Amino acid sequence: MDDRQVRNIGISAHIDSGKTTLTERILYYTKRIHAIHDVKGKDGVGATMDSMELEKERGITIASAATFCEWREHEINIIDTPGHVDFTVEVERSLRVLDGAVLVLCSVGGVQSQSITVDQQMKRYKVPCIAFINKCDRSGANPSHVIDQLRSKLGHNAIAMQIPIGLESNFQGVVDLVSMKAIYFDGDNGEKIRTEEIPDALMTEAAARREELVDAASMFSDELTEVILEEKEIPEELLVDALRIGTLERKITPVLIGSAYKNKGVQPLLDAVTRLLPCPSEMKNEALDMENNEETVILSSSPEDPAVALAFKLEDGPYGQLTYIRVYQGSIQKGSTIVNTRTGKKVKVGRVVRMHADQMEDIEAIPAGYIGALFGIDCASGDTFTSPGTTLTMSSMFVADPVISLSITPVDNQAQVNMSKALNRFTKEDPTFKTYIDDETKETIIEGMGELHLEVYIERMRREYGAEVETGNPRVAYRETITRKAEFNYTHKKQTGGSGQYGRVAGYMEPITETDFEFDNKITGGVIPTQFIPACEKGFRACMAKGPRMEFPVTGIRVVINDGASHTVDSSEMAFQAAARGAFLEAYAKAKAVIHEPIMKVVAETPTEFQGPVMGLLNQRRGIIVGAQDDGPMCVIEAQVPLAEMFGFSTVLRSATQGQAQFTMEFALYKLVPQSIAEELAETMAKKKKNA
Amino acid sequence: MMLKKDLITRHPLGIQGDEIDIISRGEFGAVLARAGVGKTALLVQVALNAMLRNRNVLHISLNDPVGKVTLWYKELFNHLAQGDTAEEANQLWEFLLPHRFVMTFKIEGFSVPKFEERLADLTGQNIFRPDMVIIDGLKFDESVRQCLSDLKKLAGEQSFHVWFSMHTHRHEETPEDTIPYPLLDVEDMFDVALQLQPDGTDIHIKPLKGPSELVSGLAELTLDASSMLIK
Repeated sequence: MDDRQVRNIGISAHIDSGKTTLTERILYYTKRIHAIHDVKGKDGVGATMDSMELEKERGITIASAATFCEWREHEINIIDTPGHVDFTVEVERSLRVLDGAVLVLCSVGGVQSQSITVDQQMKRYKVPCIAFINKCDRSGANPSHVIDQLRSKLGHNAIAMQIPIGLESNFQGVVDLVSMKAIYFDGDNGEKIRTEEIPDALMTEAAARREELVDAASMFSDELTEVILEEKEIPEELLVDALRIGTLERKITPVLIGSAYKNKGVQPLLDAVTRLLPCPSEMKNEALDMENNEETVILSSSPEDPAVALAFKLEDGPYGQLTYIRVYQGSIQKGSTIVNTRTGKKVKVGRVVRMHADQMEDIEAIPAGYIGALFGIDCASGDTFTSPGTTLTMSSMFVADPVISLSITPVDNQAQVNMSKALNRFTKEDPTFKTYIDDETKETIIEGMGELHLEVYIERMRREYGAEVETGNPRVAYRETITRKAEFNYTHKKQTGGSGQYGRVAGYMEPITETDFEFDNKITGGVIPTQFIPACEKGFRACMAKGPRMEFPVTGIRVVINDGASHTVDSSEMAFQAAARGAFLEAYAKAKAVIHEPIMKVVAETPTEFQGPVMGLLNQRRGIIVGAQDDGPMCVIEAQVPLAEMFGFSTVLRSATQGQAQFTMEFALYKLVPQSIAEELAETMAKKKKNA
Repeated sequence: MMLKKDLITRHPLGIQGDEIDIISRGEFGAVLARAGVGKTALLVQVALNAMLRNRNVLHISLNDPVGKVTLWYKELFNHLAQGDTAEEANQLWEFLLPHRFVMTFKIEGFSVPKFEERLADLTGQNIFRPDMVIIDGLKFDESVRQCLSDLKKLAGEQSFHVWFSMHTHRHEETPEDTIPYPLLDVEDMFDVALQLQPDGTDIHIKPLKGPSELVSGLAELTLDASSMLIK
């Protein structure tokens, strides 16, 4: 199979720039769906891509579904990427799956804070992209301003491929600067394309913009430069090829314009996707070799090599779990055996399908470069599947620790059953979402990366699983750590008839920053017999889960044991575990333990007139304002704020700015809690203990 | 804190006495150099030095976004704190951060009334009150005199001093020992002016103007081009 006709693309954008509507139109024009619905449709059908109820309701896209369509002999897989940074893991996972992206921008709102985050992620994964300036029919539409912003805010070398014919309510069509023709979109749904000469009034501008386009393209093709110097007619293919090279190298970003809602400009965008974005074998994909210290390995994209595939999305369907996979190397065939590199389990591939939102088509195999789905495979999202004997993995095993937790209580028995089903599914889908049962309160606790992150899962529990739950107050994941070295020398001795317990451990603990816990055995001469060393380590490690000071998890401790004693009869594993626990407590009390709290990087975007109040709000929340960036009518304030102070911030921010400001938040670092707050925490802890 | 004291003396302008600012409130200082020689780096060093002495620094960048400015600080701080333990350096950095505020304006967007408004936002709510202001990237063209005199008034009222970066051009170079072109027209408004002169991997500070003891002290100094620290 020839993968040059394949495009795996993502459509990335700020909430509300019309991403879902655009996807819907693409599916319509590629004849995958036969009617058009709106995102917030009155007909209650909703756009096809948002397969989750909740997304339909909120008008936002949370999970990335992959859908397949065809355009001019090309197979296009569209991966719908989530638009909110709280779901960063999912965004980043879907970015790995894409070879190219369409960055959708609103012609009125332009480059917003969200677009900046998404753009940074694309930069990190080196995803080539083209931009689509949507909503040109809206009042205040100004595509050339957005192109300027692409250059100044995102640093893209943005090059217009089209200019608009009319704008706002008068938006009629576009002038294609490659073919130098005016394109209009007729018919009820814009499906009939009418090509005409460029209107006289636009001729001068079109010529000037085309010159810029040709100029930019000539950087990537000597042949094109020659044609220009000889002042010959420029062949269309030559120009497109040069633009393609620039796009693939991420040195230019071609910009198209239109209005998906008004059915204008979508087909030329599809043409651009097939002509300018890369096919799978043009992209370099890396995997990590687990045998070799996670060393990076370049994958071959040849279907003959051993298979390597990434499960990037799970879905619960009526026939069991559906696993979306992208194959990077080799091919995954019906009936073959593959290995899940995380668990090491071998699985047999049953049904292999190709997806279009909610419908599917059975196929024989998924070759390298293609996206498809498997049935009946038990795995978590982000798992790698390979042919037996290969030790490559697509993603590192490292996952960030959650920073916020919440207790949830089901309202009745039915909800209890449904809740466990839901939690089981969510934890598989999202490695940053965790759940456990609190030993003391017997409550179910969920943990995640932010308030909204947890809120969305609670909503999904309600809607998709019918699990009604009551939630407690969100709790911040504080941590304890020590700040100085402290020694211990502890003897555990118990004589209560029968064989006693005896063990002595001595050594010291000290702060480290690299890992959470390190255990170093420097015992010489066998004063503690070797078989008891693991028991010592276990005893120390057990103390890390709940700090002696405030019962928060302890991190950043190195324990060194260098002396001890044992008894031939009375020493046992149990005795040494107990001795280690005693030693830990002894040293911890002297090691000046402190509390750390998660600090978030908060970026607020607000109209300039509210800059003062917004900074005030951040400041009141123990925030350190790093800076304020003035950018015409809008300004961007960057601050570091403790997570504990950020609860309910969105409401406060909205009311202080007449709803015109927005903010994004991501985990930055752990930092020492100020004395006064530490005292408050101690007080609450004491109260809780009293009540328990 | 031993380390802090140490850092101050290791600092290019630190030898001028630990507890005094080079210029006092309402006064102006300028760092002149051609593009890429290290105006911003030296200004950030001056800022770090002030921050180490508990001064609040408001850094206004007219060219670079906030992220890039903070990177300058982090980089130069790391250079300065080299050889100290990560733990100590971290603590010190945490201590320094609240003393800094970065503000950016698009070049055409900077004006004194606008700046005054922003400043009022900060001081009015007691978020930040600068002792020192850095303005990096201001264009010294014909209209700059008005801007400078408004700033001078504001600096006097709000009791801060201002450091500017001043971009000199090769083709406008004036003969030795004269005042370079951008400073020429507004020289009367500045109390200290330092010119950076690259010489291989070294950079010499050439004082053009300032109190005589400062001038003679600085004339001998050579900085390392990568870190802007004294050799």
